[in-house]
Amino acid sequence: MASRKQDKDKSPQSRLHALGVARLNLIGKYSSQLMDAYIKGHFDETSINDSALDKLVKGRILHRPDESQPLSLRPDMNTLIASLTEDERKRQINADVAGQLEQIRTLVKHFSDAQYRGDYVGSEHHFQLLTEKVHDMTGQFSDAIVSLWNRLNSDFGFVSNLGDKIRENELAQKQLRRLLDGFELIDFNEMIELAQSSGPLRKLLVSQLQVVISDHSSSLLEVQKRLVELMARFRQQQERAQLISNMAAFLKQHPKFEVGDYPNRTNVPENINHAAPIIASASVALDRVGDQQPLGDIVRSLELSTNEYVEPLSSGGEFDLEEVLAVEAKHQQLKEDVENFFISLFDSHSAVSALDYLEHSKLDWDGETWLFQVIAEYEGLARDIRKRFAFDKKSNETSVFNQLHVIEDVHLSVV
Amino acid sequence: MIEHGPLLESLLAGASICQVTDEEAYRRLSDEVVREELNHFLRPLNRRVASSSDNSVYFLAYQELNGDAREHLSKEFKQTVQSLLPLLEWMQLVQESLGRDGALSAGDTIKFQEFALRTEDNQSLRQRFTQLASDRFFKSSSDNLDAQLKQVFKRLKEAGYLHQPHKDRQFYVVTGKIEQLVEMVRFIKDEESLPLDDMPQQESMF
Repeated sequence: MASRKQDKDKSPQSRLHALGVARLNLIGKYSSQLMDAYIKGHFDETSINDSALDKLVKGRILHRPDESQPLSLRPDMNTLIASLTEDERKRQINADVAGQLEQIRTLVKHFSDAQYRGDYVGSEHHFQLLTEKVHDMTGQFSDAIVSLWNRLNSDFGFVSNLGDKIRENELAQKQLRRLLDGFELIDFNEMIELAQSSGPLRKLLVSQLQVVISDHSSSLLEVQKRLVELMARFRQQQERAQLISNMAAFLKQHPKFEVGDYPNRTNVPENINHAAPIIASASVALDRVGDQQPLGDIVRSLELSTNEYVEPLSSGGEFDLEEVLAVEAKHQQLKEDVENFFISLFDSHSAVSALDYLEHSKLDWDGETWLFQVIAEYEGLARDIRKRFAFDKKSNETSVFNQLHVIEDVHLSVV
Repeated sequence: MIEHGPLLESLLAGASICQVTDEEAYRRLSDEVVREELNHFLRPLNRRVASSSDNSVYFLAYQELNGDAREHLSKEFKQTVQSLLPLLEWMQLVQESLGRDGALSAGDTIKFQEFALRTEDNQSLRQRFTQLASDRFFKSSSDNLDAQLKQVFKRLKEAGYLHQPHKDRQFYVVTGKIEQLVEMVRFIKDEESLPLDDMPQQESMF
C-alpha cells in the first residue's frame, strides 16, 4: 500500500525516468535480435515470445509500418543504431535548420516571459531546454560533418559499385548544400536581438554559436571541395570503364574493322611514335693493351671447351615474335613428320631408307634437314626403345686425310 | 651523362619507363634537363625521349619520320590494333572477377591466386577466360585453367603491361603501359569517330 502511494506521489520527472530506464533495458535485453532486425530490415517474430514482442511494440521500439508488412524497427531506432555504429549506409543527415531555429525562438520567448514574470524556476528550466536545443542543433551539424567526412575518407566504400558511389556522392553533395543553406538561415543580428541584454543568452546564442557555425562552415566547404574532386575521379573511372567495354563490344561486333593508316600520314600522331629497339652490344677487343689483362682473367675463369659454341646475342635485330613462332611451328611439323616415319617402320618388313620415305611421302623437307632430324629423333629415344630399331648410317669417306665421313642416308627397320 | 648509361640502355632496348617499372629512372626522366641531355645523345640515332599525354610513361620515339621509321611504326601499330580486343577483354575480366570499381589503371595490383580462385569459381568468367587465353595474343593451347592463367600473365608481363616486383611471388602491378593503351583506344575512337557513346550500356559492368 505504502509503496503504491509513493508511486503515485512521484513527480512526472521520476515517472519519465522509470519509463526510460525500462525501455532502455528492453533494448539491452533484446539487443541481439534488434541488431538482426537492423541488418535484415525486419524483425524475426519467432525469435522471442509473444509477450516480449508485445513489450517491444508498446515500448515504441518495433512497429508494423503496414498490415501486410513484417515488424521492423521504428525509424528512430534505425537512426539511433546507425549513429551509434557510424553506419554510413543508413546514417542520416538532419539538415532542417529552419525548424530548429523556430524552436529556439519559441524557447527564448518562454524564457524571457518567465523572467519577466519573475518565475525563476521556470526560467531556469526554459534556459536548460534552450541550451540543450542549441547544443542539439550544433551537435547534429558536427555529426553530419563527421558523417560526410567518413564517407569521403572511405571513398564511399560502403556501397560496392561505381554507379552507387556516384549516386551516394550526389546525395552527400545535396545534403551538404542543404546544411550550408541552413547555416545562412542563422541570422546573428536576429540572435543578438533575441538575447537582448541577457548575458547567458548572449553567450549561448551569439558568441558560442558563432564560433561553432564558422568552424563548421569552413569544414563543410572543405568537404564540398573534396566531394567534387572525388566525383570527378568517379566520373573519370566510369568514363574509362565505359570506354573500354564499349570499344571491346564494338570490336567484337565489327571483326573486320580497319583503322586509318596513321603511321603514313604527314603528321604522325604522337602516341603511335614508338621507336624500334636498339640493343647496345659490345665485343671483346684486344686493341687496348690495358684491357688484355682483365680479358685474359675472364677467359681463364671460364671453363671453355672448343666443342661447344654458344651463339652470342645478336644485336640490332628486332625481336619479331611472329617470326620466332613461325620457326617454332615449322620445327614442330618436322618433328611430327619424323615421328610418322618411325611409326611407318612398323608396317614394313625390310629396312627403309629415310630419304626414300621422304620422297615417297612427298614431304617438303630439305634432305639434310630431314636426315638430321631422323638421327636426332633416334638418338633421343630411350635406350630400351632404341634397341627395337636397327639403325644403319650410310656414309662415305670424303677425305683420306682426316677421316671425314658424310652421312648420305639412314636405313631403319624394326627388329 | 655517364650516370644515365643504364637508363639510356634500357630506353634504347625499347623499355617503357613508368613509376611502377622503375621509380628512380622515372623520377630522372621527369626532369626536363635530363631529357634534353638524353635527346642530345639520341639525335644521331634518330631517337628522342617521348611521353604519354599525362606524362606517366616515357619511351623513345623517332626524331624524324623517315621511310624506315614509318615502316616500323606501321608494323607495330598493326600489332597494337590486333592486340586491342584481347587486352580490353582481359581488363574487363580482371575488373569483374576482382570486383573492382573502375577499369584497371597503372599502379593497381593483381594477386595471381586471388584472380585464379575467382575465375575458377565462376563458370561464366571461366568460360570467357578460356576463350580469351586461346586468342592469338595470349596463345595458350592448354585445356587446363592453371596453365592458361600462367600463359596469360606471362604474355602480359612480356608485353610490358604487368610488372612482377618479386620473381618468386605471384603478385603483379599494372604498369603505365595500360594508360598508353587506354589513350590509344580513346585516340582511335576520336579519330575514327566511332559511335561508342551511343552503344547500349551494360550496367552490370560498372
